[in-house]
Amino acid sequence: MDIFIEMIQFPFMQRAFIAGALLGLLLSTLGVIATLRKMSFFGEGIAHASLAGIAIALLAGFAPLPVAIVWAVLIATGIFLLERYTKLPSDSLIGIFFTGSMALGVVLMQFTGGYQPELISFLFGSILTVTQMDLYIIGALTVAILTWFIASRRQLVFLALSPDSAQVSGVAVHRQLFIFYIALAIATVLGVKLLGIVLISALIILPAATSSLLSHSFKSYLILAVIVSEVTILLGLTLSYFFDLPSGASIVILGTLLFFLSLITQRFVQK
Amino acid sequence: MPKPSKKTTKQKHVSAPAIAVSGISVVFDGHQVLDNVTLKIPSGSFSAIIGPNGSGKSTLIKVITGLIKPMAGQVRVLGRHLHDVRHAIGYVPQKFDFDRNFPITVEEFLNLAVHKHVLKGQIESIVEDVGLSDAILEQPLGVLSGGQLQRVLIAQALLKQPSILILDEPASGVDITGEEQLMSLFSRLVDEQGTTIVLVSHDISSVAKNVDQVICLNKKLVCAGSPSKTLSKKQLKQLFGEHKELYHHHH
Repeated sequence: MDIFIEMIQFPFMQRAFIAGALLGLLLSTLGVIATLRKMSFFGEGIAHASLAGIAIALLAGFAPLPVAIVWAVLIATGIFLLERYTKLPSDSLIGIFFTGSMALGVVLMQFTGGYQPELISFLFGSILTVTQMDLYIIGALTVAILTWFIASRRQLVFLALSPDSAQVSGVAVHRQLFIFYIALAIATVLGVKLLGIVLISALIILPAATSSLLSHSFKSYLILAVIVSEVTILLGLTLSYFFDLPSGASIVILGTLLFFLSLITQRFVQK
Repeated sequence: MPKPSKKTTKQKHVSAPAIAVSGISVVFDGHQVLDNVTLKIPSGSFSAIIGPNGSGKSTLIKVITGLIKPMAGQVRVLGRHLHDVRHAIGYVPQKFDFDRNFPITVEEFLNLAVHKHVLKGQIESIVEDVGLSDAILEQPLGVLSGGQLQRVLIAQALLKQPSILILDEPASGVDITGEEQLMSLFSRLVDEQGTTIVLVSHDISSVAKNVDQVICLNKKLVCAGSPSKTLSKKQLKQLFGEHKELYHHHH
């Protein structure tokens, strides 16, 4: 108990828990729609593409997070527009932006010179690097995106299920989809701070996938995904502190274990 | 379902057309799918679009509902641009492809098409109208049979209380008794609520029995008018070729 009290007295752990709780809510909520629309690869692509944004910020001497967000929004806009106006499949386009932007980031990093701790923290995530300013940005954007999500949830579910029927019913399909792409891109980059470019897409995919194994209604699917996400992040952070493990990797391993546990439970219940 | 005063046929046809299509042409990858189609569908009428496979029936429906932008021509719905009257249209697609693992109940699905809270009693009443039991509301959408899904799609369109209901082969996957039940429901909607119904159908005998306007399409408008005028042996031969003629179901 003492060690637990000691842990939550560290300001960096407090910031990590608050950021983790906010990001768990945000990423799992958007993740349910992303998974239903088979957009799991989108988060992976945006996270890796954001490397170029981080490199530009480091070269120009700006704070990396805001620049990475702007860059991710540009990439998401590019993917959306090319998906709409070309016949190329979504995964090909994401792959093109993902690799192209990441390659640009690698080249730009050559010009920054020396050891870049910011770069390493963005690649693998680091709870130590979550600043007070990051918390304000994460908090404000989480509130803005979730407010939009709550107001649009019915339309988002409808367009994930059947875009044609949603359009005829009066859903502004292209506008809502574009906002969703932007929201998911921003949420992904915010999460990069915690889990890193390499692992962040796990927080979009795992809670939704775990929840879908145990849910028959959309309401239970959404609620369970948020619970799974919060448990995974908060317990993962705690375990990483106690056992001195990398926080991002601990969270993802725990999330993966929960997924397989749900899979076994589902099989057992079905029998 | 609310039952407003019954409209007479005379009253139905004096108002502006529910749908006015003029000079619609659609080309896909260099192939002409619709060629200069012009037609009017009167308010409160029950119309069927018939024609051979590949004649552009579904494309015409998609142009009317705004899912496909035509290369030329325009569509007016209730005398206005489609964008302004979307809320007045209910649409049931020919195919509803979705992930059967999508976690959503029938009740949640029905609620997607409406923008306000709908009373459970109203949902149950519409579900019953399309021939389903209200026990289906709690079931996952993914476990429904083809016929059940088709009825749920019709129920979802009806929940909006549309003044125009457009259905692309609504009886596909539904058995013959179910088809008659649905046609009878559509006729009631026309007679009792003045709903304009437009459906695509391959069942000529059912069309002949139920609708008051037939639109014959084969990339161009071949004919339009009452069933007695349009479903003659000569007209059907012109539309479908040698082997199509009116077949009457015997029950």
